[in-house]
Amino acid sequence: MGGKVTCTLGEVKQRADFIVYWGGNPAECHPRHFTKYTIMQKSRFLPRGRKDRTMVLVDIRETKSAKAADTFLQVKPGKDFELITILRAMIKDQRVTDAQIEDTGMTREVLDKLVDQMKNCKFGCMFFGMGLSMTRGKHMNSAALLTLAAELNAFTKFVAMPMRGHGNVTGADVIMRWQTGYPFGITFNRGYPRYNPGEFSTVDVLVRGDCDAAFIIGADPGATMPQPAIDHLKRIPTICLDPHITHTSKLARVHITTAPQGIAAPGTAYRMDELPLPLKPALKSPYPTDEEVVRRINEELQKKPFWMPEGAPLTMTAHG
Amino acid sequence: MTLQVVNNATCTFCGCVCDDIQLHHDEVRIHEARKACVLGTAWFLNHTAEKKYPVALVDGKEATLDEAIEAAAHHLHEADMPLVYGMSNTTCEAQKECAALADQLGGLLDSHTSL
Ligand code: SF4
Repeated sequence: MGGKVTCTLGEVKQRADFIVYWGGNPAECHPRHFTKYTIMQKSRFLPRGRKDRTMVLVDIRETKSAKAADTFLQVKPGKDFELITILRAMIKDQRVTDAQIEDTGMTREVLDKLVDQMKNCKFGCMFFGMGLSMTRGKHMNSAALLTLAAELNAFTKFVAMPMRGHGNVTGADVIMRWQTGYPFGITFNRGYPRYNPGEFSTVDVLVRGDCDAAFIIGADPGATMPQPAIDHLKRIPTICLDPHITHTSKLARVHITTAPQGIAAPGTAYRMDELPLPLKPALKSPYPTDEEVVRRINEELQKKPFWMPEGAPLTMTAHG
Repeated sequence: MTLQVVNNATCTFCGCVCDDIQLHHDEVRIHEARKACVLGTAWFLNHTAEKKYPVALVDGKEATLDEAIEAAAHHLHEADMPLVYGMSNTTCEAQKECAALADQLGGLLDSHTSL
């Protein structure tokens, strides 16, 4: 998501007096988000902490996070994009009908207040979770929210940030962007990286049965993917690296036990605001690290002939 | 027994990546993760330095690390369109090696983000 209007959590902690969580449940999924980075922190600019900050939660159901919020807005399922679009219109005083507002589960009164709060805060931040980015509209929802944040900068300082999930997924995005220019859904089958989610994203590749071997690391698709994808992993040679014997290990031809990151394996992990942090492993594992195992597989592969014959063209011509 | 203390350890369980955790351990397991939340505490206390699992399994049988690495390289090299997937629960250093792996295989590279 290049070009997004965002900041670090440090800035949020110091300055954000208006915080929106959209489609996320930090109280249960990111338990220290409130206390460490957002509403509970006191800072030089917001000395009274919680009293100086306003929090709005937008979600399809009232989760535990609603208790922490000043305002809870219950959006109708699948209507996030419409609601964001209405807000984009309302901040610019464009005409929106009551029927359009009702269709999202809101009232004009509630939205007028929200728009007022958004425009009149000193530093606003919208955090969006999987309830926004993984439901109807998907990345179009995220794009709309990021646009809303950008447009609010005509009135005040406003940013948006995804609430990234478990582990070092943010790191995976950053590393792939750095190494290939793209964040995910990449193929090297022409000798250079190409990007096309839907074609090269794993679920699609597996369900269609496109790949003929799989190397799985730091994930357990055998437990989380749709059944046709799991069936394909069983058909092809699957290699799995994990600190535990997982569902994927059980269907894999090769499983290698590795040291858990941050506990027994050193290295770096990215926080959701794309800040890299060093890991401080406390234990010494009897197993090798992921890094070491993948490097050794790479070295082993270098001894074998390269997949593309020498002198072969790097691009496919129109004749194939 | 006195436990060893690691200050400002980093929790990678969720995207908050809290880097202020105090770990109390006896080199085998972590007994206490101060400042961590419920999820983080479970994450730290559930991983130990014990040798609970075989080093590697090849076709369901216990194997040495060398054998497993050789088998992995063999399967990946044989394939026409290998897939490198995951990278959520691993370090950036390992992720970089994974990008190199997909590159030299001419394969697919993807993470949890695409779901
Ligand atoms: S301590 Fe809790 S909030 Fe912090 S990174 Fe770990 S799981 Fe997330």
